[in-house]
Amino acid sequence: MAAGSMNLVGRAGAGPREAAAWSRRQVLLTDLRSVRGRAYPRVRGLTREPSWLLFEILLPFLGTSAFVFVYRALEAPQEYVGFVVLGGALTAFWLNVIWMMANQLYWEKAQGNLELYFAAPMHFMSILFGMAVGGMAMSTTRAATVLVIAGTLYGVTFTVDQWLLLVGVFVLTLGALYGLGMVLASLFLVWGREAWHMGQLLTEPVYFVSGLNFPVARLGMLGALSVAFLPLATGLDAMRQLAFADAAFPAGTPPPLVEVAILVVMTVVSIVAARAMLIAMERRARRDGRLSVRWQ
Amino acid sequence: MSAVTPDARKASATAPTFDLARTRGNGLSDTIRTFIVSVRLGWQLEANWTDPFLFFIYSVAKPVSSALILVVMLEVIGGPAGRSFRPFVVVGSALWAFVISGVAGLAWAILEDRERYRVLKYVYVSPSDFLTVLVGRGVARIAVGLAGVVITLVVGVVALGVPFDVAVVDWPLLVASSLLGLGTIIALGLLMAGVCIQTRQESWSYPEAFAGALFLVTGAVFPLLVLPAPVQLVGLLTPLTWWIAGIREALFPGGPDSIGGSGSLFETLFGPGSPTGGEIVLALLATGAIATLAALAIFRLSDRRAKRAGLYDRTTGS
Repeated sequence: MAAGSMNLVGRAGAGPREAAAWSRRQVLLTDLRSVRGRAYPRVRGLTREPSWLLFEILLPFLGTSAFVFVYRALEAPQEYVGFVVLGGALTAFWLNVIWMMANQLYWEKAQGNLELYFAAPMHFMSILFGMAVGGMAMSTTRAATVLVIAGTLYGVTFTVDQWLLLVGVFVLTLGALYGLGMVLASLFLVWGREAWHMGQLLTEPVYFVSGLNFPVARLGMLGALSVAFLPLATGLDAMRQLAFADAAFPAGTPPPLVEVAILVVMTVVSIVAARAMLIAMERRARRDGRLSVRWQ
Repeated sequence: MSAVTPDARKASATAPTFDLARTRGNGLSDTIRTFIVSVRLGWQLEANWTDPFLFFIYSVAKPVSSALILVVMLEVIGGPAGRSFRPFVVVGSALWAFVISGVAGLAWAILEDRERYRVLKYVYVSPSDFLTVLVGRGVARIAVGLAGVVITLVVGVVALGVPFDVAVVDWPLLVASSLLGLGTIIALGLLMAGVCIQTRQESWSYPEAFAGALFLVTGAVFPLLVLPAPVQLVGLLTPLTWWIAGIREALFPGGPDSIGGSGSLFETLFGPGSPTGGEIVLALLATGAIATLAALAIFRLSDRRAKRAGLYDRTTGS
């Protein structure tokens, strides 16, 4: 293993300049190892840190339950309870994107890890990608648990005609969400508390404009803008249309296939934007000496 | 033993002696000064990351959005008929943002100082009273929460058509409920601070989880009667239920009620109808006093254990 590592970085018998001239294979392998290394603690943490069961499931479940009871108090049709349960499950991903993708770099900076990431010989995108892979694993477990518990407890019936499309929408939504998370994460290279507070701001207001607990079409133009620009709104609306195929759905949002196309564009744009933002922010952070500034 | 030289004896005679009385401080004036400094520090930590205008938007965006989510839900299901329920959800969601600020304020002060700035141990051993420092730090976040409540209510009245008439406000009930409720929220914050002193992973989520659990049982955005009877009982024993009911009744007398109603546990226990203003204040006083005493006891126990186990000196990386 040690010999393999030595071979991988190509130091044997070479001077510093030759050692730094990596082949594409070496770069790719190192980046893949970085992805695996950053995803590892999140995936292993699922079994090693059981306290998440209480708080990562309980929190979305309690929030979801409150809105279920609001609909029950209003004697709303049962499919609205289903909307709330599906929205509640998706909040696990949004919270993960905000707190464990975007804000994660704030914690890393505070703990002194951020400068180590930049000193290490790998592309920073691979760190973010590893965080995203680990985050998806964590959040999928959490969302599925909330979906099963709340769905069973509140008697939600899903009517799915197009399973494949539903799975495709789900995967694309995750891609677009975590791409957005990478864009937001780049802000933390330069800013500290400002960006942290921005993360705080991206919960309830985003829930509102995404139509987390009601059909987003009811927001009119605001809802249309959300579907066009916010992956949470687009993915949620498409999944609702597909998971409650026979529901009396308020018209006004595009059909699922159009929303799939929007999600594809969002995913590509956000990943490209993340790469550009990372380069720009890293340059600015190096210039202003902010990569290692803590507590500000 | 070596002999003491005349120079050393002279130096000893002129050196200032340690005055034990100074360790006792100046009583109330020291406490007030500590409190003011803590409030100022808390406010700086909360607000000096941006300019006042952005901070204002940041402070009100969350509670206003929470209220808007509920208003749209009402509109989707109830249409125009559901508008009579708007004051109920606007007041409930506005007050709940305040609860989260209060409960999280004190607990996050502990976590920020321990995990982020790593100064908790220094604050603790400083001559200031730790409890006073903690409450002072929490007050800043409570002030931000209070601004959020007021703005949400104003938005509710101005933009969402909540019918508000200042002439019918029950001011004595409003003042009594507000003061008792504020004390209760600070007590609950203290309780969470006591818990967070002891805990490591996920501690940042505890206040929100606690508030989320209370949100379900206090009738903040839906009447208690839709809940199962045992859960309603938990709600009736929670001071925040009475606080929200008191503020609601004071601002919108005779409006939809969160506690009573046909088929509710309150009706089963106390007969038909809703609690009067006086009953609400009495219930808030009783449940709030119990919660405050319990919170103080738990905080003291936690403090004692933390000192014994060296928890103030620990950074957990959470």
